[in-house]
Amino acid sequence: MPGFAVSRSMVKKRILFIFVMTLLFSLYLIGRLAWIQIVRADELYDQAWKQWNHNIIVQTGRGAIYDQHGRLLAGSTDVQTVVAIPQQIEDPGVVAGALAPILNMNEQEIAELVTLDRSAVYIKRKVDPEITEAVREMNLPGIVFFNEEKRYYPGSNLASQLLGFVGMDQGWSGLEFYYEQYLSGSEGRLLYPADALGRQLPHNYFGNFLPKQSCNLYLAIDESIQHIVEKELERVVAEAAPRQALAIAVDPYSGAVLAAAARPDYDPLHYDEFDPERWNLAPFTSSFEPGSTFKLVTLAAVLEEGLFDPEELHYCPGYAIVGGHRINCWTVERGGCGTITFQQSLGTSCNTAYIVLGQRLGAQKLAEYIEAFGYGKTTGIDYPGEGSGLVFRETMLGPLELATTAFGQGISVTPVQQAMAVSAMINGGYLYQPYLVNEIRGKEGETIFKRKPELVRQVISAETSEKLIELMETVILDGTGKTAALEGYRAAGKTGTAEKLDEEHLYSSDSFIYSFVGFAPVDDPRVVLYVAVDGITLGPRYGSATSAPLFKRIMEDTLNYLQVTPTALTMTKEELN
Amino acid sequence: MTARPNCHEADSVLLLTTVLLLAVGLVMVFSASFVVAAESMGDPYYFLKRQALWTAIGLVGLFIFSKINYLVLKRFSLFILFLNFILLGLVFTPLGTALGTEAQRWLVLGPVVLQPSEFSKLAFIIFTSAYMSSRSLNVRHTWTATILPLAIAFVAFLLIQIQPDMGTALVVLAGAFLVVFCAGVPVFKAACLSLISIPPVAWLTLQEEYRVQRLFTFFDPWADPTGSGYQIIQSLYALGPGHIFGSGLGQGRQKLFYLPEPHNDFIFAVIGEELGFIGAVTIILLYLLMIWRGYQIAAKAPNLFSSLLATGITFIFGLQTLINIGVVTASVPVTGINLPLISAGGSSVFFTLISIGILLNISRYTREESSLMGRAS
Repeated sequence: MPGFAVSRSMVKKRILFIFVMTLLFSLYLIGRLAWIQIVRADELYDQAWKQWNHNIIVQTGRGAIYDQHGRLLAGSTDVQTVVAIPQQIEDPGVVAGALAPILNMNEQEIAELVTLDRSAVYIKRKVDPEITEAVREMNLPGIVFFNEEKRYYPGSNLASQLLGFVGMDQGWSGLEFYYEQYLSGSEGRLLYPADALGRQLPHNYFGNFLPKQSCNLYLAIDESIQHIVEKELERVVAEAAPRQALAIAVDPYSGAVLAAAARPDYDPLHYDEFDPERWNLAPFTSSFEPGSTFKLVTLAAVLEEGLFDPEELHYCPGYAIVGGHRINCWTVERGGCGTITFQQSLGTSCNTAYIVLGQRLGAQKLAEYIEAFGYGKTTGIDYPGEGSGLVFRETMLGPLELATTAFGQGISVTPVQQAMAVSAMINGGYLYQPYLVNEIRGKEGETIFKRKPELVRQVISAETSEKLIELMETVILDGTGKTAALEGYRAAGKTGTAEKLDEEHLYSSDSFIYSFVGFAPVDDPRVVLYVAVDGITLGPRYGSATSAPLFKRIMEDTLNYLQVTPTALTMTKEELN
Repeated sequence: MTARPNCHEADSVLLLTTVLLLAVGLVMVFSASFVVAAESMGDPYYFLKRQALWTAIGLVGLFIFSKINYLVLKRFSLFILFLNFILLGLVFTPLGTALGTEAQRWLVLGPVVLQPSEFSKLAFIIFTSAYMSSRSLNVRHTWTATILPLAIAFVAFLLIQIQPDMGTALVVLAGAFLVVFCAGVPVFKAACLSLISIPPVAWLTLQEEYRVQRLFTFFDPWADPTGSGYQIIQSLYALGPGHIFGSGLGQGRQKLFYLPEPHNDFIFAVIGEELGFIGAVTIILLYLLMIWRGYQIAAKAPNLFSSLLATGITFIFGLQTLINIGVVTASVPVTGINLPLISAGGSSVFFTLISIGILLNISRYTREESSLMGRAS
């Protein structure tokens, strides 16, 4: 066999052996391919899909809150959050030492955060831009920044209790809380195909999953009226140092709340530095004894029931005896109101006259009207934690309760209930549900929700309403409400003075709530305004010196702002006669 | 054609398959590399141009070597061995370069960047075949005859593995071993030799921690998906979505910086993704056809030297192919072996084409009566 030192057949056998091995291994590889590309194809595709398509968290931004004219009340601005990637941090001590003074944090705390076994940790969230800039300049490895947003309120404290505030991630009080699901969009995820360097590819293989957009709120609140109200409340605080002062202005024909505020308030950006009591908007959440303003309810009832004769005479000795109990009129110290007509009894705010009217109505009727005007339960306003007040049901109205309830003692109501009830008394008898949000719009401006005024019921007739208006005007023209008279406008209303129960549920002698509820102009009511000042500690302590002038100032500025044409002169007592 | 007796036409099937795989290679190199090339070189055609140039040069080499009688190689075998060591040594001189990688594998000779280890594969086949076919040798009786060529190959193995390039080093060693084996070393001796060589090779392999990791990763790539398991997982993410028919030429997603070396070591993953299971299996069958022809030539070779030479050439060609596809399909641990004729790489395609040229030359002298499956004469 030329050229072969060994047997050719042996060489061939070995070559054949190698080839067979090659063939077997190739078959194995084809099997592997089939396993990967056919059997496990879908599973691998799903996994690969995740890597090919990147998620961007799209922050739609928290919705803004505007007043009825589109003026911004609450908005959001971009801020940055300092984030640590523990894996990339070489020396936690150095990083902590560098960050602690700038971020105003404990060094130990930062050192612990940056050594946590996580892919990323927040060091400090929502930091001011100057501070993040300072951190950025230090160029610390493993420290990165995250865009987030932070709430801001252009009016600072303006309407703070109404708007509420936002914690780190969601609304915690007020409208920010009530409308959380509209204001916060769902977390946005934008899926896009990317290469391994995370760069978006020009092709749109899979489309995007769009996030739910947040919405903007448009309130019934008028920023200017709100401003007027708050300015005047501030003035009362400065002059009388009350425990609390509050006001609510509504549109009597719709239930739209035009302004609502209370003092003391708080700063929504530093909410945690204030007593949580201050976060609540007292006109909605607080209930207290209405006092004489409640006489309007009794009056409306007797008018509607035809049990009221304005010319009928009433003698008030300064007290009444009911069921063996002596009930004083506020005029008891000067010997009572004397002989007056029932028409005059509203102006003088005579308690004994209203005891008589209440007794004429009877427990059943009075309870019916109280309920019909919306007292004793929440109005359903779009604000969290609304109060319901407490009134006697018919069965609990004994002679004594009937007598005191008739002039507003021994029960509790909320300012918003008062404002809505008075609105019904003067608008022809229609009780509306109060509301704060007029409209909810999407980011593109499309309307998502539009408020329609909701009529609860007609409580009294239009005639009764007209008579009530007349009688209420006398309070200001020639009664306890003279100091509420407006410059250039006819106004009507009712004063109220309530005693407050102290901690032991006794009437305290030195703490009164002075309130005033009224409206203007009389011939074309634009605004119903309820004001109350509680626990005055400075200056004169009576309603005509506090709540009535507060009403007057707010109402005058509001009507001027609304460009309501003034009637030439203020009517005087002489003209009336 | 020539005056020599017994001379006939070269193996046309081998040549055609080679050209076919080269064409597939050029297309796939372009498809796999244009994004990476545009990104890193500023020219999407960068790797295609280089590959085309080297393919052209390699085809010239193939033609020349198909014309040079293989016996010339036997005469020059010692010189080739010597040249191989010179080149391998030069890699560690200032002429050597790592080309921006972590491995010192290349030589810069003027405008040409050469990878001497690619030459080593062929050089050792030639040298070992020449040595084992020496008339004076009696491999059946002397240990020296068996151990000497393997010892020399082991030196080359050491030189290549410290670059480091364990994959190529093992291919060189395995090629030399196979030639020795096919030269008729008794099975007992061959088994002893492989047993002896396993401990040092294993020990060297485990010296580098990343190799140990690759070994473990091979069993469970998802244990460390962003680290040592990354390559394997990315490869599977190419093959899986490729499914049966593939995503279409150029449509692959995994070459977009997910796959490491998409135009080189992992080009088969791109093939699997873009051409699907059908395409991938077709490529494997083309390789098998080439390997079949190679061993057929070896079996029909006119003498022991040419037979061993053809066997060795075919073996390292097939070995690299199978290891590369094995890596891509997560069937063997990750090693830096490219896919012959298809992967981008100048030295690789050049020396592969020259070795095929040698095969073609041998095929001109084959004797039909001693085909591989035929009755032994």
